[in-house]
Amino acid sequence: MSVEIDVRNDRVYTKTHEWVLVEGDIASVGISDYAQKELGDLVYAEAEPVGSELSKGDVIASVESVKMAEDVYSPVSGEIVEANESIEDAPDQLNSAPYDTWIAKVKLSDPSELDELLKPDDYRKLCEEAQ
Amino acid sequence: MKKTPLHDKHLALNAKMGEYAGFDMPIQYAGIKEEVLAVREKVGIFDVSHMGEIRVTGTSADAFLNWVLSRDISGKKTELVSYAILLYEEGGAVDDLLAYRFQESGDYWLVVNAANKDKDFAYLNDILPVFYEKHPEAVKDVKIVDESEFYAQIAVQGPKSPEIMKALLEEFGEAPEFIEKVLAMKGYRMQRKPNFKGELSMIISRTGYTGEDGFEIYLPAAEAGRFWDALIKLGAEPAGLGARDTLRLEAGMPLYGHEMSQELNPLDAGVGFAVKTDRPFIAAGNLVQHHKLIPLISEGRAIPREGYPVFADGKEVGHISSGTFSPTLGKGIAYALVDPAFPDEVEEFMVEVHRKEQPFRKTTAPFVRRDR
Repeated sequence: MSVEIDVRNDRVYTKTHEWVLVEGDIASVGISDYAQKELGDLVYAEAEPVGSELSKGDVIASVESVKMAEDVYSPVSGEIVEANESIEDAPDQLNSAPYDTWIAKVKLSDPSELDELLKPDDYRKLCEEAQ
Repeated sequence: MKKTPLHDKHLALNAKMGEYAGFDMPIQYAGIKEEVLAVREKVGIFDVSHMGEIRVTGTSADAFLNWVLSRDISGKKTELVSYAILLYEEGGAVDDLLAYRFQESGDYWLVVNAANKDKDFAYLNDILPVFYEKHPEAVKDVKIVDESEFYAQIAVQGPKSPEIMKALLEEFGEAPEFIEKVLAMKGYRMQRKPNFKGELSMIISRTGYTGEDGFEIYLPAAEAGRFWDALIKLGAEPAGLGARDTLRLEAGMPLYGHEMSQELNPLDAGVGFAVKTDRPFIAAGNLVQHHKLIPLISEGRAIPREGYPVFADGKEVGHISSGTFSPTLGKGIAYALVDPAFPDEVEEFMVEVHRKEQPFRKTTAPFVRRDR
């Protein structure tokens, strides 16, 4: 089985299928097209509250499809400065537009962590191997 | 991994596949929500060929099965399908199953959970000598045969299932009298065509695991593909195991390993209707209720899942045995497993979801009714 997976060149990724888009010292975090396809129709999504101090790898959000509940892990350390509340009412945005729907914005406490994340080509390779 | 006779069809439909009971099975096709709603509003089809079929025959088959099952399945007319529980002596459940009665006596089919099939077969063989020992009058001629690999099973479920069954059987040139009998069946009845292909039968029963009107078709494995293709051409939507588990919970039906097990007996699982204790049977005197199921619905957006702890008045009172998002209701639904003495008046519960306690309200099972 082979399904077209969209990987955008404007951002970096994690092995656990989160994406990170950086502007200044703020990192927007979302889930990749691969992740939303694996999960199926999302029926629940909620970010951790604004003000939460996260270390890289901490839970930043929970997303659920009919049969699956998954944690979304923060790819970076820092404080949540904004949480996208619209995903609570309409979690299906994460299916229809995964790269236009950020889940939370994190103020980076250690920008050097960004260097450890996957470049688009490496992430593309990871998705192809996982299929 | 084992494959059902319809495995190639699922790959061709680009289904998301996953392992279940040792089989590579379709989990979903278009998406669980869409498949659930297709079954609730129109008609969906499921490949449930992984289910086991165990044939039990012999002069003493009636007495043996009545002794080892939770209710008498003989003494009634043929063409009847009975839901029953295969019991341990201590009262726990080996499995829950459908017993098909083929003749006046002495010929049965037990349709069992795929994950339990080998265990059931071994148990029946082990317990038969015990039955003979306790029933010296019984003729020792019971035969237990695993027929699972010879048969495929397709479940046709949803309000439009009678129409599509009629069109299917007409297309395959079945006799009008047979088609009429199939469509006239009430729930938990069956029609059997012996020697449908060589030695094997075609069996159609008005049964299912979705809470909707529907049929289950048992076919020789080699016949399954053309039935499946024809059903899809006639407009049935393929549905996977994800939708099946969601539909069964919406319908309030227990699943072995969740609401029922060696530790959770049929009374714990809320299927007392299938248990008759005022008769001699293997678990006589041992069927005592140790647990109770409370159907819960989410007051907010939280989705309950198996194992989540359940609280009432600030105290932990049990845990979730099965939970899901209900596409039909648009809410989280679940069974909570609590002590049988837990007061029935309590309506408000909290369930810990994502490290936070979320409000739930007691509701009634089935969560989704056919006459809604």
